[in-house]
Amino acid sequence: MNPFKSVPVALAAALLVAACGGGGDGDQANAVKFTSLVSFGDSLSDVGTYKVGAVAALGGGLYTVNGIAGAAGASPVPSKNWTALIAAQIGQAAPCSAQTGLEGDVNYGFSVPVTNHAGCLNYAQGGARVTNPVGPGNKLLGGDNATLGQLTVPVVTQISNHLTAVGGSFSGTELVTVMAGGNDIFLNLATIAPTVAALMGGGMDQTTATTTASTAAVTAMGTAGAQLAAYVKAQIVGKGAKYVAVVNVPDVSKTPFAYSKDAATQGLINTMSATFNAQLKAGLAGTAGVRLVDAYSDNRNQAANPASYALSDVTGTACNLGTPSPNALGSSLVCNTTNVNAGDVSRYLFADSVHPTPYGYKLLAQLVTKEMILAGWL
Amino acid sequence: MNKQMKLLAVAVAALAASSSFAQTAGTWMVRAGATTIAPQVNSGFLTAPDFLGGTKADVGSDTQLSGGVTYMLTDNVSVDVPLALPFKHKLYGDAALAGAGQVGEVQALPFVVFLQYRFLEASAKFRPYVGLGATYAYFFNESGSGKLTAATNPGGSPTKITVDSKFALTAQLGATVALNEKWFVDVFYAKSKLTTTTHFSTGQTMDIALDPVSYGVTVGYKF
Repeated sequence: MNPFKSVPVALAAALLVAACGGGGDGDQANAVKFTSLVSFGDSLSDVGTYKVGAVAALGGGLYTVNGIAGAAGASPVPSKNWTALIAAQIGQAAPCSAQTGLEGDVNYGFSVPVTNHAGCLNYAQGGARVTNPVGPGNKLLGGDNATLGQLTVPVVTQISNHLTAVGGSFSGTELVTVMAGGNDIFLNLATIAPTVAALMGGGMDQTTATTTASTAAVTAMGTAGAQLAAYVKAQIVGKGAKYVAVVNVPDVSKTPFAYSKDAATQGLINTMSATFNAQLKAGLAGTAGVRLVDAYSDNRNQAANPASYALSDVTGTACNLGTPSPNALGSSLVCNTTNVNAGDVSRYLFADSVHPTPYGYKLLAQLVTKEMILAGWL
Repeated sequence: MNKQMKLLAVAVAALAASSSFAQTAGTWMVRAGATTIAPQVNSGFLTAPDFLGGTKADVGSDTQLSGGVTYMLTDNVSVDVPLALPFKHKLYGDAALAGAGQVGEVQALPFVVFLQYRFLEASAKFRPYVGLGATYAYFFNESGSGKLTAATNPGGSPTKITVDSKFALTAQLGATVALNEKWFVDVFYAKSKLTTTTHFSTGQTMDIALDPVSYGVTVGYKF
């Protein structure tokens, strides 16, 4: 036997094995085979409730920079809400709004019949609050709100509408997402000034009146957080859902909306955000099937360490919000690639004063998928 | 493992009284057995965009059929070339992704040439040795997973990874025990200094110090 023969044979065998097997994409299957995505929430989860009439005509519909084409995951980051990215990740079709329409001024094209869409399972609506049916943009608030006329069906009603549509219970194979609270912050904050004025009119001094009104606003946020947790438990988990991702409210004090206000107000907004989240967390603690996603902490980290998210700007807005031109509403709802600010805004965090850019939504989607991975769902 | 047991059985069967266990100059030796590579991971953070707290990785161990060829330059100095089937190392999430489980896999083929010094007499039954090796760690067949895609590009096309192949220095301790004049058993322990960079198709990179230790047992034959 020639001993040297074995050397090239062994090497060849090794290289042969090296050349085949393994590699590529790996196993892309999710751990849980979800059959649908059901989303409840506000503008941050809305995939086009108001993409009708003049809003659609203005090239809007999503609360972000609209009109950037491309599939989920493409580059540049396409105009997709985080719920659309999650849907793609779990192999579901792009989500559609369960209800569309506007109840605003017909003269501006903001009066469009309210239509329910069977089979569309994204119930989130811009302006929606947890339980109060009147949120930002609702016609009952008057003024500019009445011009636009957002439907603002609250989350509690969104859930009951879904239960009605599907016969009263979840199948247990849906992925359910819930994200709300921001609009409760905006409207509770807005009540402070009139409350202070009323209290002072009744003879109270300004400091005491301000403290009283602020405390009431914070208390209201705690109540809303506790209510949301209770509805998730009773009306979602209690009705059979087994996979529920609840995203807490981002730190609204770290938004261009808050940066335009004084330090005391920013502090109050932070307290309102944190109080809502604390009650939400406490209420959901230990609930099987619920994964709480901490957007609040992530949002604060984005503000403090933008570079670690590859964010180029966390204080300005990608959209040029000048009204009536180039932005008819001063909102990302009608922001698109034609009325963004000059320069590269693709890595801005905010599209308008509170809503993320497509890149910001992608970061939020990643935060949700990360928690889903850690929950063993992906 | 069965193959190893059979080889051992052959070796034991071949055991015969012999006075010569010599590893003298000009001796060729071949061996076969198993080697484990266990990375001692010290992971850097994923570059931006990353999660709050930062994402790291861990790398699993693997054991493969291995062997090698040794040539005695002198009675004490030898050149050794280990051979092995490719090692499959599982990649796990760590830090912000701790608990995620396996997120990928990479195959590794270390090409090594050792210069060794073997102690004691060439005819000694037990010969410890030390070695210093030049290693080229060839990484290939890198694969991701649904988890990796979900964490880096939710809903997008599968995230791919590549791991840079690298040169490394490897130090080795070992010993041979002669079973008879032809057959012997070799055991070794080695440690390499190896840092590499993993590239993600989503644009990030991650530096990982692998610094693997490797150890193995083989049965060899002298010519």
